[in-house]
Amino acid sequence: MTEPEPVVELTGITKRFPGVVANSDVHLTVRAGEVHAVCGENGAGKSTLMKILYGMQQPDEGTISVGGEVVELRNPQDAIKAGIGMVHQHFMLADNLTVRENVLLGAEGLYGMGRKARAKLAELSDRTGLHVDPDTLVENLGVADRQRVEIVKVLFRGARIVILDEPTAVLVPQEVDALFETVRSMQADGYTFLFISHKLDEVRAIADEVTVIRRGTTVGTVDPKEVTSRQLAEMMVGSELPSPETRESTVTDRPVLRVSELRLDADDGDRSVLDDVSLTVRAGEIVGIAGVEGNGQTELVETVMGMRKASAGTVELASSGGELRDITRLGTLARREAGIGYIAEDRHRHGLLLRQPLWSNRILGYQTREPVSSGRLINPAAARQDTERVVEEYDVRTPGVEVLAGALSGGNQQKLIVGRELSGEPVLLIAAHPTRGVDVGAQALIWEQMRAARHNGLAVLLVSADLDELIGLSDTIRVMLRGRLVSEADPATVTPTELGSAMTGAGEEAA
Amino acid sequence: MEKPDPTVTTSKRRLPGWARGALWAVVAIGVLSTASYLTDMPILTSSDTSQTALRLGLPILLAAIGGLWAERAGVMNIGLEGMMILGTWGSAWGAYYGGVWVGLAAGILFGLLGGLLHAVAVVTFNVNHIVSGVAINLLGLGVAQYLATLVFEPISGNPRESPPVAKFDTYSATFLSDWLGALEDEQRVVLSDVAGLLRGLVTHVSPLAMIALLLVPASYFILWRTRFGLRLRSCGESPVAAESLGVNVYLHKYIAVAASGGFAGMGGASLVLLEGGADYLENQVNGRGYIGLAAMIFGNYRPSGLLGGAALFGYADGLQLSGGGAAVLALCYGAVLLLAIIVVLQLIRRHWWAAAGGVAGAAVLYWIYWTNDELPSDLIPYTPHFVTIIVLAVAAQRLRVPKAIGQQYRRGEDT
Repeated sequence: MTEPEPVVELTGITKRFPGVVANSDVHLTVRAGEVHAVCGENGAGKSTLMKILYGMQQPDEGTISVGGEVVELRNPQDAIKAGIGMVHQHFMLADNLTVRENVLLGAEGLYGMGRKARAKLAELSDRTGLHVDPDTLVENLGVADRQRVEIVKVLFRGARIVILDEPTAVLVPQEVDALFETVRSMQADGYTFLFISHKLDEVRAIADEVTVIRRGTTVGTVDPKEVTSRQLAEMMVGSELPSPETRESTVTDRPVLRVSELRLDADDGDRSVLDDVSLTVRAGEIVGIAGVEGNGQTELVETVMGMRKASAGTVELASSGGELRDITRLGTLARREAGIGYIAEDRHRHGLLLRQPLWSNRILGYQTREPVSSGRLINPAAARQDTERVVEEYDVRTPGVEVLAGALSGGNQQKLIVGRELSGEPVLLIAAHPTRGVDVGAQALIWEQMRAARHNGLAVLLVSADLDELIGLSDTIRVMLRGRLVSEADPATVTPTELGSAMTGAGEEAA
Repeated sequence: MEKPDPTVTTSKRRLPGWARGALWAVVAIGVLSTASYLTDMPILTSSDTSQTALRLGLPILLAAIGGLWAERAGVMNIGLEGMMILGTWGSAWGAYYGGVWVGLAAGILFGLLGGLLHAVAVVTFNVNHIVSGVAINLLGLGVAQYLATLVFEPISGNPRESPPVAKFDTYSATFLSDWLGALEDEQRVVLSDVAGLLRGLVTHVSPLAMIALLLVPASYFILWRTRFGLRLRSCGESPVAAESLGVNVYLHKYIAVAASGGFAGMGGASLVLLEGGADYLENQVNGRGYIGLAAMIFGNYRPSGLLGGAALFGYADGLQLSGGGAAVLALCYGAVLLLAIIVVLQLIRRHWWAAAGGVAGAAVLYWIYWTNDELPSDLIPYTPHFVTIIVLAVAAQRLRVPKAIGQQYRRGEDT
């Protein structure tokens, strides 16, 4: 087989956001009719790159050429005209409209609204394996079918190059297999795919070529058949070790959190997202949970916090006296009052009210406790005062406590949250991605604060996708895969590469 | 799970809309004729009643169509009332100076202006939809009063009333009407009842009524069968998705809300320009905008449904007007019969709680019917309002509301 023509070529793409370089000097060449995977860790810059290719964002430097011609993509419509379509990770569908209406919307001019459009839709549905009545409401479809509707939508507009952004994140394994089958058959029909993923086994299963992105830049392009998952993981995380740290152990033998045989069934009920999870966190210990996103870490955190109801198993927390108390049946507020601090993984959804001033954000989760509340009535004056203390101690860069939380940068928002959560004298801190999307300075401060709190006997459950962070902070690392804690690693000896392999399950085959 | 069975989706599908509508119409006629026979109240199905019902249902129908257009585009339009009030003044003014058709046009224009104002507030300035709607209701009332004082008082000598204005001519399908009349007079069970109800609908019908009734299928066609309608509805379901596909959300919302106001204004005109209705009269709209909105919601945001809703409220209103308290009591009896049917249906579907609720409701209504010979006359005029409350309470349970309704939308902002 001779090398086919490149259909998409990105050269020297650089994109800067205020304070961050999302992409720097990215090169990507996609040939006609191939499935080209782009993989990298979360925050490595895959999404930004795809948004640039789909015209949702403009690059600061570099050129895009499609089919040999340099093009300028100012908006998605331009990209569609160039034959590029994107299936978003979060579907852009109107639930209350039928499948046909969703596909036709905005493209009524192509085939009209009548028989011709129906015929085209039927043909594309067949090609993508969408076996539903086009007059069904999208609301009634499962996730896999919705995804196919999105693909049909893109094809209906004449796209020959399809970007699939993390398409498997929402699917169960059988659905992933079915999707791959569809992709392969469409590939045979001459479509080109850009497949965004961080799941190495899937990338190896479907891709003809893999381009790895790390820290915003392309590390290299490889043939997945010639490399092992382990090598890919190495490219993804890089092999540099975290900065060495003073690691005098502060671990005591006093358990603070004990989770036993925890199970959580998925909302649709036919699989478990958490299965037989048991772990103990002792005072002065940081237990890190490593894992590729979507393997149950979020669910574990939310179950321990009481935001989800465990299907089986127990959660116990040390009371002030030191003996463990069963909190499985308690609600979230009661758990917080029992001494759990919580840094949520998505600070905009769970951690803050963006349209409220800092001081009322200080009250969140403490609305029943001193000093911001007397139990029944909140005390704004005390809240303002205590927020000023947090701002001072945790170096939150803000003009004042009356500023809306949404006006702060991500790092300062996070420092406020960390300060708030460490203010309630917690016995346990649950930190989910505590330094995600924050600048280096804030990261250092947050790490410092967490170490200090650990030194004072705080137990910490740390979930992070940043392997350097995990290795640098944790006393013990547990690896989570498909809802189970599969292995344990000693942060003193493990390298990010080894950890990355264990996370993707690649360790088993490559070893 | 991975391979959805196509038969499952088809078997879940309900009857087509027109069949369901026809079925409900048959049930309604059956219930009414049974009730009129058992309570000895022929007025329940007389041609007078249905004729009045058509006249009184029109403003509600038009307001409901207006509501449909706005809400399908994702804009709550509680300002229908105010737009109707503007329509009443506009149509009286137009009709006084230029005849009925000018009056109708002026009514539509005034309503449309109210709609545009709502669109500016809600779409461009992102004002809360309810707040803007209430403001328009207050404004519509105030503007109409002001204009009436300014324009009508010098002529009629009364700031609350316009001078007599031209009314629409009415037309009857004479042959059909006479034949149905003969049939009605024979007093045969069911047959005469159907004849009576139908006769009211073909006798003394104004062009405005015909236009309004045609607007129902026309709205269906435009909103569900054309590209414009699809885009309009997509704005009410998922503006972000619509925008990502190149739909101009702002433009479609503007058109929808302006059209909504135009329909409401037409509804206002139908209060003024119909034979048997008053001329412009302060407070003559009297909540019909809200009732129209309720009829539309009861109709599950669909044209056929809102037609049913408007018919129900028009009928309740017409009945209390032509039959008084005794007729309303008979209607209670009819409602008991209807509830009995619903209870049986719910029992078949094994919805025990719904069935129990139906039984309780039927018991209360029957008790009202049994213990009273005459309802307090002060309450009778509010029959349609009571019907609104009860029907909405029952209907609110399985509605399919446009998903993005009432949401503020700014271009370029994610969800």
